[in-house]
Amino acid sequence: MLKLRGGIAAIAFLCLSGGAYAADPLAVGRQMLADDNPGDLWAQRGERLFHEKRGPKQASLDQCDLGVGPGKVEGAFAQLPRYFSDTDKVQDLESRLLTCMVELQGLTREDIVKNRFGNLDRMSDMEALVSFIGSKSNGMKMNVRLSHQKEYDMYKAGEYIFFRRNGPLDFSCATCHTENGKRIRLQDLPNMTDPKQMQAVVATAWPAYRGTQSTVRTMQHRLSDCNWQMRLPDLGYASDMSVALTTYLNRSGNGGMIELPGVRR
Amino acid sequence: MKTIKIALLCTPVVVALGCASYPDQPTTQKIAETMVSGAYPGMPAALVKRSVQDRSQQICSKTGETTLSQQETAEVAQAARTSMKYPASGKLMGDWKVGAKLSYDGGGGRIVGGKVEKRKENGASCSNCHLLDPREVNAGNVGPSLAGYGAQRGNSEAVVKYTYEKVYNAWAYFPCSNMPRMGHNGHLTPEQISHVVAYLVDPQSPVNKK
Repeated sequence: MLKLRGGIAAIAFLCLSGGAYAADPLAVGRQMLADDNPGDLWAQRGERLFHEKRGPKQASLDQCDLGVGPGKVEGAFAQLPRYFSDTDKVQDLESRLLTCMVELQGLTREDIVKNRFGNLDRMSDMEALVSFIGSKSNGMKMNVRLSHQKEYDMYKAGEYIFFRRNGPLDFSCATCHTENGKRIRLQDLPNMTDPKQMQAVVATAWPAYRGTQSTVRTMQHRLSDCNWQMRLPDLGYASDMSVALTTYLNRSGNGGMIELPGVRR
Repeated sequence: MKTIKIALLCTPVVVALGCASYPDQPTTQKIAETMVSGAYPGMPAALVKRSVQDRSQQICSKTGETTLSQQETAEVAQAARTSMKYPASGKLMGDWKVGAKLSYDGGGGRIVGGKVEKRKENGASCSNCHLLDPREVNAGNVGPSLAGYGAQRGNSEAVVKYTYEKVYNAWAYFPCSNMPRMGHNGHLTPEQISHVVAYLVDPQSPVNKK
């Protein structure tokens, strides 16, 4: 840990003296990885998994409707979360994939949720699928629309929860994410009430390859990580609360040019 | 003209129910609170309770530009004032060296797999948000810089008491500030806070060295 702290300090020092990256000391590493993003491997694996016949029903996901038609992945990420009439719910990419994997492939929800986040011993199919589908909106702009009443409800609930303080540290998302130029230690905190910053945040993560974890992480993972830091219990995977926050945040990033999977610390 | 426009905007499905639109505040609150109560399936009730707001947290959760009324501010400050507890010893200023360790420790109280992490004590997490020792590079800036805190204010009894209370429950002085109510919420014990106070005000502490 000491070593790590020294390393971060050294990088920060280099950057401060260099000047160019003073506002974002970790931009150097990100830039280095951007041209050679390991996350692309996850996207490739995801593409294979998407078309492979899997599960008790030996079916692929070619009939999975992510909101733009069965089996269609181009542009799907750009407009999620959205309302789906078959489930009568607003769903984000992960909760929608969960539905498809259960309904079409006959996989159990429990197994999928158990393997939702990968580690060095076990890869997560979800992380790969999300990388693949995310990458299929590259070059498009985020465009989350509100038309169904449940979409309006989700958006407003997400905004409400974003500002809702709770837990032993009295935190809400807003505690860290409503001002410009703030950091937790050396970690930059985007101001999530600024549309310009949100476009960059939402369109280039998540999914993103996390250098510190040697894997791609998803939005659900990011939210559960925030909850963990806030000292809250484990956030239910694909819970309505997580979808509400994602609806609020993704819509706030409308117009952002998508480039996924991204690269993060 | 207006009705025609509305009719055009509505899809046939929602026309029957009226045009879809943003829910009002009470409806939003009801929907969102239901979501929060359902967000932690399978978690022990004692931990889920952390997501239930007390009155002050409710007041401090106003969205966006909504400002607090004078009455709400007073209520939060009053609740904070009555929450104050002090170390049994009565000593509000402990050992700055213990405080130094606590201030840079950002762990404690986190939950994984439905269990609180095993630890002797929680860290105080100060440097996550504040600069303390002016030589430290790896410090956050969500809160104001506290470098030279004691050098600027001295270590009189009044300063020590204010500093202790500010860490125990900041909302007594700054209702709804970002600063967690460290003592009131039980994240830190009164004794731990006294050590953090020493780290801030003791003339020997690195915080007060140039």
